[in-house]
Amino acid sequence: MRWACLLFPRLALEGALRRRSDPTAPFALIEGPPQRQHIRAANRAAREQGVKPGQALGFAEALCGQLETAPFDVESVERWRRRLATWAYGFSAQVSLHYPHALVFEVASSLDLLGPWPRLEARLRGELAALGFSHRLVIAPNPAAARVLVNVHDGLAVDEAGLESALASLRLDRAGLARLESDNDIVQTLNRSGFQRLGELFGLPRSALARRFGSGLMRHLAELRGEWPLALDYHRPTPRFSRTFEFDRPVHAIAGLAFPLKRLLQELGVFLMGQDAGVERFCLAFELEDGLPQTFEIGLISVQRDPDTLLELTRAHLERVRLAGPVMTLRLFAPRLSAYAPTRRELLEGPARQAQAWAALHQRLVARLGQPALKPLVEHREHRPEKAVLNGAGPRAREASIGPPRPGWLACAPQRCDGDVVQLLAGPERIESGWWDGDDIRRDYYLAQWADGRHAWVWCEPGQQGWYLHGWFG
Amino acid sequence: MNDGFPLRPDAAASSRPDAAASSRPDAAASSRPDAAASSRPDAAASSRPDAAALSRPDAAASGAFREAYAELHCLSAFSFQRGASTAAELFERAARLGYRALAITDEATLAGIVRGWQAAREHGVELIVGAEFRTQCGIKIVLLVENHRGYEALCGLITRVRGRAPKGEYRLLETDLDELDGGDDLFALWIPESVPDPAIGQRLARAFPGRLWLAVELHYGFDNGCDNAARLAQLQALADALGIPALATGDVHMHARGRRALQDCLTAIRHHQSVFEAGDALFANGERHLRSRDALSAIYPAELMAESVALAARCRFDLGELRYTYPHEVVPDGKTPAEWLRELTAEGCARRWPESVPEKVARQIDYELTLIEELGYEHYFLTVHDIVAFARGQHILCQGRGSAANSAVCFALGITEIDPSESALLFERFISRERDEPPDIDVDFEHERREEVIQYVFRRYGRHRAALTAVVSHYHAAGAIRDIGRALGFAPERIDALARCAGRWTDHIPDEARLREQGFEPEEPMLKRLLVLAGTLVGFPRHLSQHPGGFVISDAPLQTLVPVENAAMPERTVIQWDKDDLDLVGLLKVDVLSLGMLTVLRRSLDLLRLHRDIDYELATIPKECGETYAMIQRADTIGVFQIESRAQMAMLPRLKPAKFYDLVIEVAIVRPGPIQGDMVHPYLKRRNGEEPITYPSKAFEKVFERTLGVPLFQEQVMALAVEAAGYSPGEADQLRRSMAAWKRHGGLEPHRKRIVEGMLERGYELSFAERIFEQIKGFGSYGFPESHAASFALLTYASCWLKCHEQAIFACALINSWPMGFYSPDQVLQDARRHGVEVRPVDIRTSQWESTLEPAPDSTGALAIRLGLHMIKGLAESDGERLLAARDTPDCNSVERLAARSGVKRTVLSRLADAGALERLAGDRHRARWATAGIETSLPLFAQADVEIVADAEEEALVLPAIEVGEAIKADYATLGTTLGPHPMSLLRQRCHAGDIRGLGGVVDSKRLATLPSDIGVTLAGLVIGRQRPGSAKGVTFLTLEDEFGMVNIVVWPNLAVRYRRILLESRLLRVTGKLENQEGVRHIIAKRLIDLTGMLEGLSTRSRDFH
Repeated sequence: MRWACLLFPRLALEGALRRRSDPTAPFALIEGPPQRQHIRAANRAAREQGVKPGQALGFAEALCGQLETAPFDVESVERWRRRLATWAYGFSAQVSLHYPHALVFEVASSLDLLGPWPRLEARLRGELAALGFSHRLVIAPNPAAARVLVNVHDGLAVDEAGLESALASLRLDRAGLARLESDNDIVQTLNRSGFQRLGELFGLPRSALARRFGSGLMRHLAELRGEWPLALDYHRPTPRFSRTFEFDRPVHAIAGLAFPLKRLLQELGVFLMGQDAGVERFCLAFELEDGLPQTFEIGLISVQRDPDTLLELTRAHLERVRLAGPVMTLRLFAPRLSAYAPTRRELLEGPARQAQAWAALHQRLVARLGQPALKPLVEHREHRPEKAVLNGAGPRAREASIGPPRPGWLACAPQRCDGDVVQLLAGPERIESGWWDGDDIRRDYYLAQWADGRHAWVWCEPGQQGWYLHGWFG
Repeated sequence: MNDGFPLRPDAAASSRPDAAASSRPDAAASSRPDAAASSRPDAAASSRPDAAALSRPDAAASGAFREAYAELHCLSAFSFQRGASTAAELFERAARLGYRALAITDEATLAGIVRGWQAAREHGVELIVGAEFRTQCGIKIVLLVENHRGYEALCGLITRVRGRAPKGEYRLLETDLDELDGGDDLFALWIPESVPDPAIGQRLARAFPGRLWLAVELHYGFDNGCDNAARLAQLQALADALGIPALATGDVHMHARGRRALQDCLTAIRHHQSVFEAGDALFANGERHLRSRDALSAIYPAELMAESVALAARCRFDLGELRYTYPHEVVPDGKTPAEWLRELTAEGCARRWPESVPEKVARQIDYELTLIEELGYEHYFLTVHDIVAFARGQHILCQGRGSAANSAVCFALGITEIDPSESALLFERFISRERDEPPDIDVDFEHERREEVIQYVFRRYGRHRAALTAVVSHYHAAGAIRDIGRALGFAPERIDALARCAGRWTDHIPDEARLREQGFEPEEPMLKRLLVLAGTLVGFPRHLSQHPGGFVISDAPLQTLVPVENAAMPERTVIQWDKDDLDLVGLLKVDVLSLGMLTVLRRSLDLLRLHRDIDYELATIPKECGETYAMIQRADTIGVFQIESRAQMAMLPRLKPAKFYDLVIEVAIVRPGPIQGDMVHPYLKRRNGEEPITYPSKAFEKVFERTLGVPLFQEQVMALAVEAAGYSPGEADQLRRSMAAWKRHGGLEPHRKRIVEGMLERGYELSFAERIFEQIKGFGSYGFPESHAASFALLTYASCWLKCHEQAIFACALINSWPMGFYSPDQVLQDARRHGVEVRPVDIRTSQWESTLEPAPDSTGALAIRLGLHMIKGLAESDGERLLAARDTPDCNSVERLAARSGVKRTVLSRLADAGALERLAGDRHRARWATAGIETSLPLFAQADVEIVADAEEEALVLPAIEVGEAIKADYATLGTTLGPHPMSLLRQRCHAGDIRGLGGVVDSKRLATLPSDIGVTLAGLVIGRQRPGSAKGVTFLTLEDEFGMVNIVVWPNLAVRYRRILLESRLLRVTGKLENQEGVRHIIAKRLIDLTGMLEGLSTRSRDFH
């Protein structure tokens, strides 16, 4: 067997750069707590200006004024690695994510189909370059050796005969020893005892090594030389769902899609059950008799897999859709599955039920009106009435306490109302606040009786003439 | 949202628009936000046309319905993050508004009360002492002090409630109120919640029978459906029902409405939020200021205001009544303090001058004792003597400094080591008759042993009678910008950048040019707001911290004088007053400070006794030694006290100190102040005879003669004021205090008049007098007291003498006292080796924990330094001791035995192996490390049995690679921070190629550099051991490079520094091309080109060329 190892030395950075409009501008990934953020990785433009991994963020910014940064995200690195593993799956059935930052996969079996090796190598490199990932590639008789050799080689192909000497010249700190035992720094001990290269260890008595460094090191050395089999867990690409329904005759109305849609969703439900998963979003594509296909993405608020619920939500979505032409095929496509947690059934379902009902209503409203149309109201206990209710995200709402009375209906903008006040009932309440955003107000608010008997909330500015209506009490 | 609006019948009945219009308070006061942003927020308020309020109360009695008023509930800036005005601002405005009295009622603190007392006296408004509290269960009360006993009760209460909480907090329990004996000598104001609970009122009425008032605070709020009128009616009904009187108070948080923005910011800071997020945590309006009596009359019934005045009149306590008593212990029974002080002084004289006291000194001592007795300061000297005597008994070295410290009496008492018979110093700042303040003595102790002295003081006088004084930390520009920036929701990076613009410790908000330079747009409204608010906040108190060593000791429990609270450090208590507040009530303060050099000197003197059999004290070290001064003039002063820094070393060859007083000047002159004030060059020129020494008059000559006509010392300014402007010594001391403070607080102007007039009277010209005053003003910020300089110079001389005559002893004492001082042990040892001292490596067979001295082999009597285990980085002292105990057991001749008998972990032995300390047990570092790695981890279990290790025959034969020089050096630096092998530079030189201009080709070393003429181009390389960009040097960077022969200073001008920014920041090995300059023996290189050679250092330790 022969094993290839691909090392991605800049995976996190290149993953992040793919999403940037100008990947050549100075850019760095940062990590650490907010007060002590430091550079994790930097692109070429930033490195040229002296930005280095490990530097404090402030220091790096001092070196490179126009440096842009994004937080280092372990999740996204792992996501990229899984995607790359899925890509490699196209070349080998045994792809492993066992080693960090790298992929190892068995290629001997693929060489008949895709070989010889130089050809396969060129293809792998070509596709990775197109994806924009720098990499190093080594092929060796076993995965452990391939992994350590890729630390210092690129393009090396070692066979059984050359393995020993290739390994022997490896420096100890590059030989994967550091991962073996965290509390005993093997590399440091060896270095400080005068050893530098792996070959020097091969010459030492096994007992002397075993006594000092235990079985971990012995096993690692054996794995490298292929004397000890390495059990790897192999990557399986994440399943996805895609089904197409072809119509015999073109369908002209949405209503005509209902039945096939139901069937597809039932299939999806069964599939999800089998995968023990749910979906958070899925796509519907209509291929039209003529014209471009119409595609809709249906996003859900929570992970679902119940076909009836999915159907109801899909229908609500489709109510807003106008067909651009007769539909020839209907395709349901769920590119990603999500972990599904079934709703628990409580013994007493009072408030929980309500919460569910509210969530369902919310989901329906979103389905009908679209996500952007629906925003939560956030009460912000500000003194200025205009700023006391925010729409959408705002500062964290404070705990409710006894506050001054406020009208149930507030005018968008105060209106001048000099003649209509019959009598002031209570007040003033002086509100003097808001200097920080340029909207400083200084008003004396009163509860007033209106000409028609209603109770109004009015204000005047201290020292100024004129009354303004700001709201009505119910 | 509350939709229901409770209607009150009485309110509904009154038709309000007109009434509201006529009674609208403070009609003219409208501080717009932009006004607040464009000028200081309070400026708008203080300059507003509130004409009625501007006139003095007595003059404006015409105002028909203005009621008399006294404010009984007012917070100052000492209610941290609540009060937005200082006591001075509050009293100034209270005086303008014609208030009868103003209570300062900060929350559970009296930290600001002395400031209040000063402001009250200045503005002629009576101060009422009080404090606000909130109990654990939410009851809010204000306690006001009726008389002295009430003050003691309040101090006791604050001490109690703070003592049970962490630093900065308090916990008031309801039961505390019951312990106040019915509130005798105190008055209590109840501040009801928005929904008052009558039960609380009853509870308080029981706790304070006949001494409880209900405080009505109206701020145009609308809580719980109550407007002012409704709230008033509600509270009056409540007071009637409870049978207690009501009165009007203002819950004042700021002096004027214009402080609203700052007050909002402080609230936001307190809640760790921005003002955007703070919402209704902020006050709804700016009514919580000192309102005009018109405005108050409009909302309060006359009887409530009258009640406030009546209660204020019953508060009769004045802080001036406090009497401090010295601790009695320092005088034995049956003796008067004067007798005892004379006795001790006589004893001391007998010790200092065994033959006989020189007549001049005897006269001086007699004069001083008479003055001390006259002013009653015997206890002060006796207390300091008591502490110093304890230290001496414990063999702890100490040295007093400060005005009185260098008196002949203090020399006799052993407080100072400056011999009055041998120095010709004049100390005008001894105690003066006019000044009703105790003298000031600071005593420095060995830095490692000061804690023993502190614990002695606590032990001797008891925790309730001794405490540290507080230091009020004030807002500097950077801190103010940070806090306001956070309150305004600025991004952390912008706040950082802005704060950096301000720099550390300055009180100046950065100006527009500086901001633009840093990429800020000063016109941006938000930024303007920030800067204005931060500017106001500068100088505000921020928190109390503990003074580094200022002790107050009293005969009575301290909490009868001032509240005592917990410090951040456990087992320390702190009084609530700042050191400056103490003088006003005459509290005794003794500064117990720590000084690293005293540790070094004590160790040196011990080593001298041990190895040379010479018994010196600081005072008996041979004086005025020519060799020592010659060494100082060469600037060969690494490691000595005060004159060791780059700037000091650059000055020494020019100043050429040749006698003790020159050192006093040297210590005082190389400081940022004199350098910026350009005092250095005139002095040097005059000293070198390049400029004539002239004096405008005899009086000037008398004062400035010893500094060649150049003002250097604070004492000289005081003497000048006395001689040339007719000040009394006491007044001159006031001038000194004002000088120190004028930049922050102002207050020098009265002196201008006084000085100019005084000088005119004595025949000086006006323009000259004005110029002198300006000089004095500029001098204020940097003048260094001569008395301190003299004490320091003594330590400087002692350390120089030791370095000159006993290099090995001094270096050994230095590295044992580390961390301290300016140089690392590496630099100290390199320097010692350059002076021919042999330094021997750490060796587990012979080293102690500390470094020690061993006889050098050549029988010259020289000593060699044996490095101790303390040099090994990361080795705990406890492990070191176990190792030393183990190695002293018989036959401890292998690493295995050492491990087994000491029981230390394998990692500890690895450290020793890497440091080369096991060489004589196990062979070189490689073998030692390999051996320690082979120790079985289970060995400590059998430590008692001392198992024999049977070495593997195979292992015996094992050949490990030998260690190379470069690798050893690298290991040395990594484990010891120094190397005894060749200097890395000499190794690199061996390897370099002559033509390699990106390496060491064409490079001179520092030894050769010293022989080159100046003004030629040179190239030099060395390890970068120092980078400095002092604030006084206008952007110049100073680099210190070290090679195998010594150190070289490099000057990098700002424009070059920008170009080589990265290299300056990062490089550890540097090649510099530039011009050699030589000014009066001071050599440095003006850099023109820098090349980073750090990579060569990396290559030093690798055995062979790497493939990758």
